[in-house]
Amino acid sequence: MMDQYKTVLHAQNIRKSYGTRGNVQEVLKGIDLRVMEGEFVGIMGASGAGKTTLLNVLATIDRTTEGSILIGDSDISKMKDRELSAFRRDKLGFIFQDYNLLDTLTVKENILLPVSLGKMKKRVAEDQFNSIADILGIKELADKYPHEISGGQKQRTSAARALINKPSMVFADEPTGALDSKSASSLLGTLEDVNKQRGVTIMMVTHDPVASSYCSRVVFLKDGNIYSELYRGDKTRQAFFQEILKVQGVLGGDSVDAL
Amino acid sequence: MTLFDLVIRSMRKNIKHYYLYFFALILSVVLYFVFATLQHDPSVVERSGGSMGAAFKVAGILLLFIAGIFVVYANAIFLKRRSREIGLYQLIGLTKGSVSRLLIIENSLLSAGALAIGIGIGILVSRVFLLLLMKLIGFDGFIEVEFSTAAVIQTVIVFLGITILTSMQMLVAVYRNTLLGLFNAEKTGEHPKKPKAIRSAFLAILGIALIAFGYWLSGRMLNALLFINMIVVLVTTILGTFLLFRVAIGWVLYQMRKRKKGHLGLYNSLSLAPIMHRMKGNANSLTIITVLSAMTLTMLAGVYSLYYSTEKEVRLIYPFDFAFDDFWYDDGKGAAEKFISELDKQQITYSYSTVETLEVDGEFEGGSVSELMSNSFGAYIISDKQLQQAGVDIEVSDSDAAYLYDAGIYWLLKTMEVPFNIELSNAEIEADMKVVKVSEGNALNTSAMTHLVVKDAFYHELKELFLNDENEWRISNTYAIDVLDRDQLAEASAIFKRINEEDDQHGFDYYSQYASGMENNGLFIFISGFLGLVFLISTGSILYFKQMTEAEQEKSSYATLRQLGFTAQDIMRGIVRKQVFVFGVPLMIGLLHSIFAIKAASFMFMSDITLPASIAMGIYVLIYLMFAFLTVGYYRKTVKAAL
Repeated sequence: MMDQYKTVLHAQNIRKSYGTRGNVQEVLKGIDLRVMEGEFVGIMGASGAGKTTLLNVLATIDRTTEGSILIGDSDISKMKDRELSAFRRDKLGFIFQDYNLLDTLTVKENILLPVSLGKMKKRVAEDQFNSIADILGIKELADKYPHEISGGQKQRTSAARALINKPSMVFADEPTGALDSKSASSLLGTLEDVNKQRGVTIMMVTHDPVASSYCSRVVFLKDGNIYSELYRGDKTRQAFFQEILKVQGVLGGDSVDAL
Repeated sequence: MTLFDLVIRSMRKNIKHYYLYFFALILSVVLYFVFATLQHDPSVVERSGGSMGAAFKVAGILLLFIAGIFVVYANAIFLKRRSREIGLYQLIGLTKGSVSRLLIIENSLLSAGALAIGIGIGILVSRVFLLLLMKLIGFDGFIEVEFSTAAVIQTVIVFLGITILTSMQMLVAVYRNTLLGLFNAEKTGEHPKKPKAIRSAFLAILGIALIAFGYWLSGRMLNALLFINMIVVLVTTILGTFLLFRVAIGWVLYQMRKRKKGHLGLYNSLSLAPIMHRMKGNANSLTIITVLSAMTLTMLAGVYSLYYSTEKEVRLIYPFDFAFDDFWYDDGKGAAEKFISELDKQQITYSYSTVETLEVDGEFEGGSVSELMSNSFGAYIISDKQLQQAGVDIEVSDSDAAYLYDAGIYWLLKTMEVPFNIELSNAEIEADMKVVKVSEGNALNTSAMTHLVVKDAFYHELKELFLNDENEWRISNTYAIDVLDRDQLAEASAIFKRINEEDDQHGFDYYSQYASGMENNGLFIFISGFLGLVFLISTGSILYFKQMTEAEQEKSSYATLRQLGFTAQDIMRGIVRKQVFVFGVPLMIGLLHSIFAIKAASFMFMSDITLPASIAMGIYVLIYLMFAFLTVGYYRKTVKAAL
């Protein structure tokens, strides 16, 4: 079934260690991962399993110690810093736990920031902004400053900023971590819609089983290795959620205790 | 762990935060100590009688204020950066009293360290400054800097006072702020609001109008209300500058931003947006920096021009090296001959000539020239031929008109339209004369009279007209002597002085006037240069400190931008734009202010001061730009480390 889709991201044998001689800690221990176009992948795992490190490495923010990563046709593990920056700007989108909006800019200015040095024409950018802001329901907030809007609205702004340049892939790091449950499910629902309707590939790191139940696939990490994977297929979100809980129970870790 | 251990630990951990404040303290100590050393130095004291001593005292007080304000300002920034730490101490259970004690112990240690280091550096560099001072006032002898205990004591007392002041500042920070306030202090920054259209437009236009009025009035101050005019100019320009920063610039930026309709772009996001974000809070300091820059620039340019043109100006007043006349001397000819015989004895070569003058009374026709001077004057009529024979390069072109020379009132007359008529008389006969040119300086050394230089033929006509048997006293002679070898001028001047003293006469010669002018202006330029340097360093440092704080506050934005895929170079381009504004705008407005101020003050000079004023401004701009480069360097480091 998967073969009919194009591969967006292909990571092979990724290793990442921190520290200096004598005190080296291997956080990622040889991870292979393939993400297809239009997938909504969740990465789960206990604290310290290497979720965020994996995301950073795949998102070109951090470099691997070993292994290769292909996004589209580009091997990002061989790129120079400058090329990586351009690549991030043109091909990737980011959503962060604490929004990372610039508080000196309005919502609209924040959203349009990523296209500012690119080739996108102003009129095209304006159309793009309108359609995304519509989907995310933040159009009437365009001239507000971040301090004037709620956390959920901030995260929607952040999501709109991630989508504005039509990225091949969006990376989200605990996007619901700072939100209340209502805003969180509303945001996740929107992300799911964006994923389905616009075919945007999303990779999301989370420790929340509810959040990952919105995904089409969930990858579990344990101690720097892939432990198992779950596909949602045609299951309901509720059923998928139960399945995720089961794996997590086997996996152990703090997020189960937290429930 | 005792409180003292905690102090030492926190100081070691916070060295990055401290160095800014520590640097400001050391700098102030060095500058103040150098100044105090010079003030107490015997070779300076010996040469600085009367006016010089007073100048030093005034400058010392000014310096004290600047040092105090600068340190308090740096401390305020420093405290704001550390407010989270202060809050944390209270959170873990230290009482406000203990936290205050901790901060005050720290502050005392820092001040003591800065005093020791500052005085140490001060001892090393004060010699350089003393040499500079002596060179400027034209003293070539050997100079020994003595270690001055008085200067040390004075510096210690001053900085003890400043430390008490900063400690009180810390007490206020601890006691006046809530815990929550302390934790959020670093985040504070206002949010730009939509300016009220009519009110803002009105205030913006008012600000510009005030500055324009100040400029306009500055060119028309020379009347009986001179002092009031000066104050009005000062008040309108300062108020206008404040409104400019507080309202006008913000309004313009707001309009620019509104036009972008959200498509702000990276560069504007890094320059326009943060500037607007902080405009209200920065308006005060930008105004102060602009006004200070303008004052410093004016002072430096003015004083440098004074120094630069000393020789020229003295020469304009004293066209001859030495002159004897019957106005100042009982027997001008006798005195001149005595002087010449002394010069011969010392084998000093010279040229000697006699210039005849005709004394008449003069009056400006057609009402008052200026409220600042009398309308009638005593005049010497002089033949241009005789002046040429005496080596003065004056040639009158018109056959029946005069060139007017009077160094004392040149600044009032130079704006008069020529030709104009004056009325001459000898108490019996009156005659009109046309003046076709008002020249700078004097034609003869005598400053008591206005000099009217005419063609030789016309001179004889006038002589015939005004002279009769009863008033032969109206004809007198000036005996002018120029020393040919300029190296012998000082020696000749000493002889001149000795002869005058012997015969109880009061005469002024070119060289001694020049030497004392150089000495006065040299001291003047040194003191104002020193103060200017202090102003410059303080304002530059304050801008630098402020930008450092902003860079720290915006570090997370830079991290986000880097993650979104903007390179450090892209981000720096936006930041450089911001710095161009932050440093450029106060500098530009300050320059503009000072150009008008210099223009208004240029009446004090006979010679053109464009060149020296430009040189002084150029140097100021260069040093100022160094701070801008330092700031950009700091930002570059911050941006590179952000990801």
